[in-house]
Parts: sequence; structure tokens; C-alpha cells
Amino acid sequence: MINFLQTLIEGTLVGLVYGLVAISFVVIYRASRIVNLAQGEILVFGALFLWTFTLGAAHAGYHIPLVLGFAITLVACITFGLVLERFVFRPLISQPAFAIFMASIALLILLRGVAQLVWGAETRSFPAVFPEGGIAIGPFLVNTRLLLGGVFTLILTFGLHLFFTRSRHGLSLAAVAEDHNIALSLGVSVRWAIAVAWILGTIVATCAATVLLSGRILSLEVAQIGFKALPVALLGGLESIRGAPLAGVLIGVGEALAMVYLDPLTNGAASGVLPYAVMIGVLLVRPQGLFGWKKIERL
Amino acid sequence: MLPTGIHSLTYSDEARLLRTTRSRIWLALLVVALLAYPLFAGPYMLGVFTNMFITLMAVYGLYVTVGMAGQINVAQSAFVGVGAFVTAKLSGYGLSFILVVPVAALITGAVSILFALPAARVKGFYLALTTLAAQVVFPIVILALPMDWFGGLVGMSVEPIRIGSLTLGSPVDFYYFTLLLVAFLTVAAFNLKRSRFGRAMLAVRDNDVVAEVMGVPVFRTKALAFFVGSLFAGVAGACTAYFLQFVTVSSFTLFASVWYLGMLIVGGAQSATGAILGVVFITFLQEGLHGVANALMQSGASGGVLFPLTSVALGACVLLALIFEPRGLAHRWSVLRTAFQLWPFPRN
Repeated sequence: MINFLQTLIEGTLVGLVYGLVAISFVVIYRASRIVNLAQGEILVFGALFLWTFTLGAAHAGYHIPLVLGFAITLVACITFGLVLERFVFRPLISQPAFAIFMASIALLILLRGVAQLVWGAETRSFPAVFPEGGIAIGPFLVNTRLLLGGVFTLILTFGLHLFFTRSRHGLSLAAVAEDHNIALSLGVSVRWAIAVAWILGTIVATCAATVLLSGRILSLEVAQIGFKALPVALLGGLESIRGAPLAGVLIGVGEALAMVYLDPLTNGAASGVLPYAVMIGVLLVRPQGLFGWKKIERL
Repeated sequence: MLPTGIHSLTYSDEARLLRTTRSRIWLALLVVALLAYPLFAGPYMLGVFTNMFITLMAVYGLYVTVGMAGQINVAQSAFVGVGAFVTAKLSGYGLSFILVVPVAALITGAVSILFALPAARVKGFYLALTTLAAQVVFPIVILALPMDWFGGLVGMSVEPIRIGSLTLGSPVDFYYFTLLLVAFLTVAAFNLKRSRFGRAMLAVRDNDVVAEVMGVPVFRTKALAFFVGSLFAGVAGACTAYFLQFVTVSSFTLFASVWYLGMLIVGGAQSATGAILGVVFITFLQEGLHGVANALMQSGASGGVLFPLTSVALGACVLLALIFEPRGLAHRWSVLRTAFQLWPFPRN
């Protein structure tokens, strides 16, 4: 029983990290109607920025305090988002969804190459932002890094949800998510929306990288998390910020349980396949996810 | 667009793939050049061409699913992998390649149908996600199955092709083997557009609601588009298996799928010519970058520049194609050809 509950706790905490990555998908979709397959690469870029302005700078002989490092990373994320908007997605405004989807795939190839050219393919240690170790609560052991990350995820979800549903700017972003042309004709700046989407997406991805990697090893393979978070974003609903952490917890717990109870029977495949099986199930039964917008098609 | 003065008197004349004598002469010249190529090229360049043919087979498949039916497929490499593993397994039983290649193609097609089933409920980008699931799940499943089924992490060796007492082993043999298959598939890819099924796919791509109203069975067309596209992938997989003589999961990554898609976009997804142009262009670009990377290595840059360099080049090419020429190289090519045909009169 204690084992079972411990598994549940771990699954929940890991699931919240998935949820955080999924939020970065949702933020971009919610503000620009772009499903960005390159989200994993964006996350790696954010992580590499943070590494460069903390440990990387320290290696080169410049000691930057962690807070200042975060500030510079923030500026770098904003610049990165603006560059993507100006040179990749602004020329594609109101193009068919297929072109925009392909652009995100091209971005995936391009960013991976750029990361490897600029930073090299070697692994590096990531600055320890959160304290390591665990807290014992009764008979259970809780990972501090993931616990703080989970709390952070919940606060971020709350804030972003308020921004998207209560503020004037956030609501105009919803119009862009509905349809580029309609948004343009109603006087909503699609350029601005896409810029905001990418800046927010990059910042949230960087936060996710920090929670995921704090005190651990950063390699280009980390980008895989992007594909793991995609089923989460889909289960929660691509338009729903609040759905993402909930779906993350569901998938995280499911994965943890599968790892303990099904993996010994299936030679370790069950936990890997589960998120994608859930994804296909969601697509078959309820394509808009738990809290997404239901699209009604008219001729 | 044909120049003035070329008239078709019968429908069958109108429907021909090659309508002018001049185009037939050009094609004959191309075939002769490809057949004579091994006389002039070394084993390295033959290998490059063989790889190019195999890639072209897979990209033809994508052209059917993505270009004609408009269903995004990011799992082509996994489907190639299915074909390769089936080939390895069947060749291990001592079956002849004449049986193995079609069976591998059919099994690959059957597997792809499994991931096309959600097309009944979802479309567009959501359908792309199910293929993404196929791509991600493929290595997990192969690795988890018992070792003696598909070799697990180690991989499987493939029995070489035997025709009577002859064993295909040299680069020249494989060059001709893949050339023959790719020629067959080229005819298939070009012909598909002229069939009833091909037109149904175009209708589904352009507007699936309207297609449904006009009596096209949308779900069946989408599922069949995946099936046909994967037949091409299965043949490509069989060729890969025979060519490499060994298959492992690590050759069939999501990244390779993305590359195939990139080639199709650069060439132009709307026509089979686009598939050819994209594959040829990217292959030669890659070979050019090989030279650049070697030069960089000699001038003291660290190793492993080649892979990121080709990634950046392909990514940039796809983005440029999407932004500046969404119809791809195929459109540029047809503009050029028309100008040549109409010379000295200006186009329009």
C-alpha cells in the first residue's frame, strides 16, 4: 500500500513537469493557432541559454549571479521569440495549417542543427536552481526539486489562465487562435499575437527545462520530452491552460503505475507506449481533449 | 503547358503520360544515362545513387499520402523500418526476394492502416499526431519484443538476394536492383494521379467536406492513401534491408521521417516530379556539404560538423520553400520548361 501511494506521489510530480512542458505547447497554440512540433528543441534552447549565462559564463571566467543569469536568459528568450516571429511565422500568416505545421517541422530540423553547431553535441551539467534531495512526509519520500517545480507549475497555470481568460490582451489572442483572417479583419494584430505566443512559449519552456534539469545533465536528447508532452497537451485540450497540468498528472500517474505493475510483464514497453496509446484513444473518443474547444464545421 | 500546334485527336492520346515525341526522347536519354552510369562512377557514388533511389521510393509514398491526399504523415521512416524488419525476417526463412518485397510492402501497408483508423474521427493536424505516435512507438515495440523475433537492440542480419546461382553483393548489382524497382514505382506514382482513386484523393485534399457531398468515400480514401503510401515505404524498407544487409531500430528515427517530409516540401508536394527534384536536390546538397565539412575538418574544426550542417541546410531550405515558393522546385522546373518550349516567344 505504501509502495502504491509512493508511486502515485512520484507519478503526480513527474506528471506536473509534463504538464509544464504541455503548457508551453498550449500557450503557443492558444495565442497563434500554431502547433509547434519543435517545442522540445525550444526547450533545449532555453536550457542552453540559461547554461550559457550561468555555468558557461563561469567556465569562461565571468561569474554571473544566478538572478542576473535568469534576467539575461529572459532577454535572450524574448529576442529568440521575436526572431522566430519576424523571420519564420510572420511570412506565413493566414497560410493553410499544413504550411504552418511543416514550418514547425522545418524549425525542428533547423534548431537541432543550430544547437549542435553553436554549442556542440557534448553533455554538460545544468546549474542547480532547486535544492536537491528529498523531504520525508510520514512514510513517503518526496523529491524537493519536483515538489517545488510542481508548486511553480500550479502558480504559473493560475496566472496564465487569468491572463488568457480575463485580460483584454489575452482574449484578443483567443481570436487569433480561432482564425487568422477573422482576427485580422476585427483589428487584432496577428503579428503581435504570434510574437507574444513565441515569447511566452519560450519562457515557459525555459521554466520547464529548469525544473526538469536543475542539477542534472543537459544534452540535446532532452528535446525528446517535447514528444512526450504532446499527448499531455492533447489530452488536456490544446486550448486549455488548466487542462495541461491535470492531463500531465493523469499521464504521469498512469506511466508510473505502468512502470511498476506492467513493465515487468511487457519487457519495459508498457510505460513508453502508454502516453501514445492514450493519445490515440483521446483522438478516437474525444478529439478536442478534456477541456478543449469543440470545433463545429460548416460549409 | 504544351506549346501550340500539339493536338490530341483521341482521349487516350490526351491521357498519355508523355504526350510529345520530344518528351519521350528526353526520357529515353535519361534512362540510357542511368543505365550507363556504373560504367563511369566509382563504388562510392554508386552507393550515393542507390541511397538516393531508396529515399525516392519512400518520398514517393509521402507524395501519395501528403501531396495527393493531404494527410500529414510523420512516420514514413517507421513504415520503412517495418518493411525492412519484415524483409529481414522473411529472408531468414530463405524466401526469394520476388516474394519478400511484395509481402513486405503489403504488411507495411496493413500496419499503416492501423494508424489511419483515427481518420474516421479526426483530420488535419490531429491525424498527423497519430502517425507521430506510430513513429515513437515503433522502436519501443521492436525493442520490447523477444530477441528472437526481431533481434531487439542488436538488430538482424539479412540474407543476400539470390537469383539462381547468382548472389547480388556488389554496389553495381544493388544499383541496378534499386534502379529497376524505382523505375517501376515512378511509373506507379505518376500514373496514380490519372486514376479514379487518384482524383478521389485530390478531392479529399482540397476539401474533404465537399468531397463527401460529391460522393467520394472520405474515410476509405484517407485510409487507402495511407495504405498506398506505405506500400512505397515497404518497398523502400525491403531495399534498405537488402542494401545494408543488416537492420537495427536506430536507422528508422523520427528525424529520418522529418527529412523525407522536408525533401517532399522542397521539391513540391503537388506532383511526383516534385518528389524526384526534392530528393535529387537534397542528396546533392548533402554531398556538397560533405565536401565543405571535410574541408572544415582539415582546417582544424572539431569533428561531427557534417550532421548539424546538413540539418541547418535542410531546415533552411524547407523554410525558404514554404515562405517563398510553396509549390516547390517542381513549379520552378515547369516554369523553366515552358519558357524553353515556347522560346523565342515570351510566356504569357
